[in-house]
Amino acid sequence: MSVTRRGKPKIKPPRKHGTTFSAEKTWAELSSNIREIQNHDASNLSFEENYRFAYNMVLHREGKMLYEGVKKLVAENLDALANEKVIPVFPTGGNTDPMHRSQEADIFLKALRSIWDDHMGNMVKLGQILKYMDRVHTKSEKVPEICEAGRHLFLKHIIRPPIQQHIVTAILNQVRFERDGYSINRSPVKGCVDVLLSLEVNDGSITVYKRDLEPAFLRESEAFYETEGVKLSETCDAPEFLRRVEARFESEDSRTHHYLARQTGSPLRSILKDHLLTPHLSTIVSLQNSGLDNMIDTDKADDLARLYRLFISVSTGLPCLKRSLKDSIARRGSEINRVSLGTESGDMDIDPVGDEVDRKGKGKARSVTSGAQKLALALKWVQDVLDLRDKFVAVWENAFNKDREVESALNEAFQEFIDGNGKSPEYISLFIDDNLKKGLKGKTDSEVDIVLDKTITVFRFLTDKDVFERYYKGHLAKRLLQGRSVSDDAERGMLAKLKVECGFQFTQKLEGMFHDMKISEDTMQAYRTHLAKTTPPEIDLEVIVMTSTFWPMSHSASPCTFTLDMRKSCKSFEQFYLSRHSGRRLTWQPSLGNADVRVAFNAAKIELNVSTFALVILLQFQDPADDAFLTYSELRQATNIEDHELQRNLQSLACAKYKILKKHPPGRDIDKDDSFSFNAGFTSNLRKIKISTISSKVESGEERKETRDRIDEERRHQTEACIVRIMKDRKHMAHNDLINEVTRQLAARFHPDPLNIKKRIEGLIEREYLERCEDRKSYNYCA
Amino acid sequence: MTEDIDMRANDTDWIRVTSTDGFSYIVKRKVANVSGTMKNMLDTESNYAEAITRTCPVMQRGIIVEKMLEYMAFRAHYETVGPKEDIPVHEFMERLPPEIVLEL
Repeated sequence: MSVTRRGKPKIKPPRKHGTTFSAEKTWAELSSNIREIQNHDASNLSFEENYRFAYNMVLHREGKMLYEGVKKLVAENLDALANEKVIPVFPTGGNTDPMHRSQEADIFLKALRSIWDDHMGNMVKLGQILKYMDRVHTKSEKVPEICEAGRHLFLKHIIRPPIQQHIVTAILNQVRFERDGYSINRSPVKGCVDVLLSLEVNDGSITVYKRDLEPAFLRESEAFYETEGVKLSETCDAPEFLRRVEARFESEDSRTHHYLARQTGSPLRSILKDHLLTPHLSTIVSLQNSGLDNMIDTDKADDLARLYRLFISVSTGLPCLKRSLKDSIARRGSEINRVSLGTESGDMDIDPVGDEVDRKGKGKARSVTSGAQKLALALKWVQDVLDLRDKFVAVWENAFNKDREVESALNEAFQEFIDGNGKSPEYISLFIDDNLKKGLKGKTDSEVDIVLDKTITVFRFLTDKDVFERYYKGHLAKRLLQGRSVSDDAERGMLAKLKVECGFQFTQKLEGMFHDMKISEDTMQAYRTHLAKTTPPEIDLEVIVMTSTFWPMSHSASPCTFTLDMRKSCKSFEQFYLSRHSGRRLTWQPSLGNADVRVAFNAAKIELNVSTFALVILLQFQDPADDAFLTYSELRQATNIEDHELQRNLQSLACAKYKILKKHPPGRDIDKDDSFSFNAGFTSNLRKIKISTISSKVESGEERKETRDRIDEERRHQTEACIVRIMKDRKHMAHNDLINEVTRQLAARFHPDPLNIKKRIEGLIEREYLERCEDRKSYNYCA
Repeated sequence: MTEDIDMRANDTDWIRVTSTDGFSYIVKRKVANVSGTMKNMLDTESNYAEAITRTCPVMQRGIIVEKMLEYMAFRAHYETVGPKEDIPVHEFMERLPPEIVLEL
């Protein structure tokens, strides 16, 4: 308030505006100045003066005159510019030389851009001096501001036929030219596109670009890529096609990015996908010599990755890729199956012939080695499957970005073809057997572990896991009894893996077997201390006590007449064992045992490790003179061993690498008319020899049938148990629900056939576990 | 475009503002740009005569121009400060001599 106190305030009225004002005169001056501005001579003009002109005109209510006048001047200027700069450089269009046409288009677009720049520059300057008009007049009159009006005028006077068409064709021409592989000057195109983008029609709802250029551009692109697609798919191999297509995608991307509007990007992409890629997907994938198969064969990870990238970008791509992958795996898988089955069935065809030939002394190798051959075949099958899996997993990891869907397709395909081979559970078990047995030979523990891990992945594809369990049990039992497994750790590791895969139930019996081995060891220790106190029998005895339900061996003892010494030893152990565990029953299983025996040959004493049966056979030769003959039937009678086992053991004693016995007449197969004598002249560098029983490792047709039957029976029991379990819980259930539930619960072990489930249900109804309800569609549980 | 002088509009350029009665004031471009009209006038893009000579004629008496520039400098100074700082608008109001209020 100090200011007001400073004395008498003297308030002057504001200064009056110039009283003499003539609208016409002012406008005349202003319009000549505007022309000057349009001629780029603004630097001679005073802003302040012109601003004042416009200000005064608006102030004196001459805004309309000013506004219309300016518009007229601008329109005139635009027409002049068009006539002067644009029309003379219209592309002639008659010229066929693309280079020339491109140059023409380039010049034209540059000209257009330059008049736009000129125009907009003018409009900005006018906008500045006409600011007051924009602020006062245009608002009250509801007309666009002068700058906006300038845009409209440009639209009306420049973007009009024929210039309009020329712009579109020129731009398309340039794009086309660039697509054909030439380079163009992008900036004029970009300039014009920007102009078109900034011009709006229909009250700003749509840009000129969207209205005029984009549809034409998309049409043109569509046509171009349609022919391009056909051309490429006809002339290129698959990797080349993919490379080119990807290059097209990239170039179109950069095109929209650099000189077209972003909004065009996605429709353009979909045009590329729909016309360049999608129609040719299956053709490319299945191309002979270069398609998917070939790429996988030749490990072209880059091409495969590209393939994957492109294929996932279109909706039909992934299914197509999955289908082809499946086909590919199925084809390779069936090839593997065919190789393994083909040779085997060939074997079976030959076998009877082989027997015949054998009598003539030919074709010896075949039938004896067929066991080993089959084993090799089984191992090869698994190895092939593993290799195949490795290959595809590598492709999946490196090229397919670990796509989940692709993975499931791969798994499905593997499952299909592994199931396609009925012997796969056996083969896999054999493979594991082989690795656990021979593992240390040449392979480190960790290598074995890796192999087993891989095998587990294949195991996952098995649907008949119970079949596998049966085989695995058999193989494991043999390994344990014959002490041939690499290490306990490896075995337990494998067991743990199986447990993870299939649960506790699956490995229960397998673990039981391990447990038995452990207990037996303890028992033997106790037995030995017991023997130390009493008079031991002549023969050292080592016993493994097997719980009959855990082990897959037949429970009935195979007949075999032991010698007196052997019987004594057995008796001694039996007494010891039963004194510790009353109420148990021991059954001797000579078919599973083996023995160390020192044999005095002419040259030296050699220690032999033979099976129990072989020992019994050898002992028959103990008493007679060295060159005495025993016929087959005599041996059969004396030992009481079954024909099948007797033949096997005789074969290993008389026909294998070490000929402890002489066979008369000599030959590879044991016949019932043959006779045998002790080969006293046998010599060897080794002090200890292991005579392994010739084993048929892969099952023969008969054994297979037996296994099959046993599995079927086991499945019947399991199915019934499952049904009862479910019904006990639910009491009442509809037929379909029951079938589904049973299938679900059993799926971990095998795939039950609904028909079989139905049979089992009927069986249970007969035995009055269940009853059918009145609606004939559901069941009740009868307690 | 036509002149060869340094065309870059720099905030620290000096601008001459003249009044009708012959006073002239020199301010920074930053201050001049506070006024939209003056900004347009000095726009080097359009390049009017004022932009080239960097002189703004203001059709007012010197005292008015002075107070106007004072306000513009005041505003240019406080425009950039944060909301926490008090803007002493009141003080500025008090500095207005009443005799020129109407003309401002």
